[in-house]
Amino acid sequence: MNMNRKLFGWGLLMGMMVLLTDCRRADDPEPQDENELITTVRLHFTEQGTTTVNTFEYKDPDGDGGNAPTRFDQIRLKPNTTYNMTVEILDESKSPAENITEEIAEEADEHLMVYTATPASLLTYTYGDKDSRNQPLGLTGTARTGAAGTGTLKVQLRHQPPVNGTPVKNGTAAPGSDDINLDFGLRVE
Amino acid sequence: MTKERKRNRLTKGLFQRVGVSLLLLCLYSIPAVFAQQAPCDCFVKGIVRDKHTGQPVAGATIALLGENKGVFTDKDGRYQIERLCPGRYELECRIIGYQPFSETIDLTAGHEEDFALTEDEIHLKDVEITAHRTDAPSSQPLSTLTGQDLARTRGQSLAESLRGITGVTTLQTGSSISKPVIHGLHSNRVLIMNNGVRQEGQQWGSEHAPEIDPFIATRLSVVKGAAGVRYGSDAIGGVILVEPEELPIGKPISGEFNAVGFSNGRQGVFSSTLQGGIKGLKEVGWRAQGTFKRGGNIHTPDYFLANTGTRERNFSLAAGFRRKAFGAEVFFSHFDTQLGIFSGAHIGSVTDLLQVIERGEPFVKGNFSYDIGRPFQDVAHNMVKGEAHYHFADGHRIQWVSAWQYNDRSEFDLHRPRNDSLAGLNRPELNFRLTTFTNDITWDHKPIANKLAGQVGISTLYQYNLMSGRPLIPNFDQWNVGLFLIERLVQDGWEWEAGLRYDYRYLTTYRLVNRVPQTDEFRFSSASGTLGVTRSVSEKLSARLNVGTAWRAPNVSELFSDGVHHGAAAYEEGDRTLRPEQAINTVASVAFDTDRFNWEIGAYHNYIAHYIYLKPQPEPILTIRGAFPYFRYTQTDATFTGIDASLGWKLSGRWSWKSKASYLRVYDQRNEQYLVMIPPNRWDNQLAFTIGRAGKWQGLFVSAGNLWVGEQRRVPLNSDFAPPPPAYSLWNIMAGGTLAITAKQQVEVGLTVHNLLDTRYRDYLNRFRYFSDEMGRNISLRLKWRFGA
Repeated sequence: MNMNRKLFGWGLLMGMMVLLTDCRRADDPEPQDENELITTVRLHFTEQGTTTVNTFEYKDPDGDGGNAPTRFDQIRLKPNTTYNMTVEILDESKSPAENITEEIAEEADEHLMVYTATPASLLTYTYGDKDSRNQPLGLTGTARTGAAGTGTLKVQLRHQPPVNGTPVKNGTAAPGSDDINLDFGLRVE
Repeated sequence: MTKERKRNRLTKGLFQRVGVSLLLLCLYSIPAVFAQQAPCDCFVKGIVRDKHTGQPVAGATIALLGENKGVFTDKDGRYQIERLCPGRYELECRIIGYQPFSETIDLTAGHEEDFALTEDEIHLKDVEITAHRTDAPSSQPLSTLTGQDLARTRGQSLAESLRGITGVTTLQTGSSISKPVIHGLHSNRVLIMNNGVRQEGQQWGSEHAPEIDPFIATRLSVVKGAAGVRYGSDAIGGVILVEPEELPIGKPISGEFNAVGFSNGRQGVFSSTLQGGIKGLKEVGWRAQGTFKRGGNIHTPDYFLANTGTRERNFSLAAGFRRKAFGAEVFFSHFDTQLGIFSGAHIGSVTDLLQVIERGEPFVKGNFSYDIGRPFQDVAHNMVKGEAHYHFADGHRIQWVSAWQYNDRSEFDLHRPRNDSLAGLNRPELNFRLTTFTNDITWDHKPIANKLAGQVGISTLYQYNLMSGRPLIPNFDQWNVGLFLIERLVQDGWEWEAGLRYDYRYLTTYRLVNRVPQTDEFRFSSASGTLGVTRSVSEKLSARLNVGTAWRAPNVSELFSDGVHHGAAAYEEGDRTLRPEQAINTVASVAFDTDRFNWEIGAYHNYIAHYIYLKPQPEPILTIRGAFPYFRYTQTDATFTGIDASLGWKLSGRWSWKSKASYLRVYDQRNEQYLVMIPPNRWDNQLAFTIGRAGKWQGLFVSAGNLWVGEQRRVPLNSDFAPPPPAYSLWNIMAGGTLAITAKQQVEVGLTVHNLLDTRYRDYLNRFRYFSDEMGRNISLRLKWRFGA
């Protein structure tokens, strides 16, 4: 009787071990995936009144670490000129490349592109698009260059999702965190 | 019949005493006191038993302190000391491999009258003392929280509960995640033994809190210093023992219900335990226990911290069987928690972090809410443990512990995937599933000449980890086997202890490199040793010295990390050539103990060869989110040197003062500089006023205390985004007592106010110190209802 009970107890234990064990094996790893990977940022500048497009690019095809970025262009623009400016953001680690620009446009309410020239007189950016709450987005806009000089253009994609269900995007860079933060060299000449 | 009843009453008396003795962590079983009226013709006799197995212990030393009278227990665990004059004696029992236990025995005339009431004819009394076996090295400092001290921590997490122990601090990630730190070491350098089983979660992560419900335990102990011989890999800084009460085999039903409320976070914690035997089956005992916890956003003195709620649901079941020399037990526990992570702590780039530091407070100050949104962790831990033991008639003993653990950790980032269909799945961005099987067999040989006892053992571990989500660590499986031998010798007030161990670990990792599977193999092995001595100079004064070694194999994160650690704003890279760490720890302590005055001072020096740390590299790493400081896991030789001191002083009948201080200095010997994230020095004082009895209330007290934590000035240059926070001082008050409703029902009540003055402060060991202040004032009310035994 006691023996039976003992056997039952041990049997139960063994049974639980077998049932609860995840049967998949460690030697078959799943592909790991960075959901939010961005490898490429392209800035297209079109001089108003022309169809000439100047494209400047940052590209790090294998993402953070690993190999260094393969391209990080210097932006070269004419002085005292107005450009239509669009941004193209890609994840080229996937095949075909994933178009992140579209995804940002869909989630416009929680994203903001911020362009900051240093010194500020080099370039002035004006937003050309808005989200559903009438806040700027910055995928398209205009850039007006100042007098000749060199400096940097900081390009940021601010991710500003709601906090505890309340929207926080207010048109400034302050809320949220950086998804992109690149200091392009800028030469106006 | 009368005899039986008498016995029961006596036993009960004993058990109450045991409650007291357990505070001292003792391990024995039964001395009995027999007293006879005639002068100097009293005697004491009894049996010493192992609490867990109920078996008699042969070769235990029983001594009356200051009387120069000592005897050994015989092969049936019995002892007898004769020709005692009436009076009060301090009886001390020492067993090799158990903690020493002492008890005051009253052989005065008045006391005998009490005996006479129950034992009218023979003037006898059976005193049953049971105590718990401990595997911890006896020459190493061991601090234990039980009874009232443990009760005061109820409702807090495991790490927070241990903070009252000198030399133990916490490493925090915000207010919701805390990990224990012993003598400046944490994570993989501290081992947690959960009910006798190595806790295997993803300990390497500084934001991975131990997956243990402290309500499981009636005793939380900390072994300070390297204890690699008995516990194997990772026991470099120390070992935390989480121990439940022994199963109530053949005892009546009893239980307790705990309710704790905290004003800050409006947190509620409920936990209950029910246990007993089964009628008609004297050899069986069982226990069922469950805990529920829910808390909302934490408030600093000035603002709420958004998304800092927590939720926890745990339960455990245990059953045991004991017949004569054989015993067996099964235990199942389930731990399940959701932890909100302060959303203001998410940063994308170094610029983000610098801006938060400059702003000095979070950009978004939340409101109160119980909701847990992204980012959060969802962690479950299951354990099944089986234990069996057998005592051979000739004194040998064998024990087998087998356990299975499954740890399922999901981490949800602040940002969902941008792709809507992926986002809709609401999958964790990181998921780890770690399965571990452990088996431990230990053989205790019978004491030789009542002086030498010891054990040999073999420990095996097999585990495998499955990983999904963003790249962090690879899948792996690993085998570990360890063999150890520990012997202890007791002679003339000296107790010597020596041990040896050998471990071998075989780790295989599996990952995809550019979509091609790659397997890496690692073999680690190490020998560990320990040598210690305990000297009882007198009944009041004792001294201990221990030199122990321990090792730790590099973990997969140290071998394979490669990416930005958000929150740390650092690019961290592993190194596949790392070797195991080797610690040599020397610890010496002196303790003095009388009724009115006690103190203990301990000094330690832990030299860790090949200490693994993140070394800053000269060039930052450029990423799409800007440049990040670049760190590589590197090895050096580090020393951890410190002092723990504690003092208890009964100033008068009612006033008492307790003081604890700890000092720690850590140095990187190879690079001749300090190391980061080391707990600053601290000093804790409590002044208590005992009211005692009032009506049906017992043990009434009020106390006030202060904790001072210094500023950590010993930091390497240019190693941090912000300097360590300044020193802080926190006040607290406490009051409590026990209401005896009936002989078998008690309600314990406790009221505590932490951070009484709502002080604004930041702690150096909180990884979110960049982002926000610590918790403000927190008032808690504890109720504990006990019924049955």
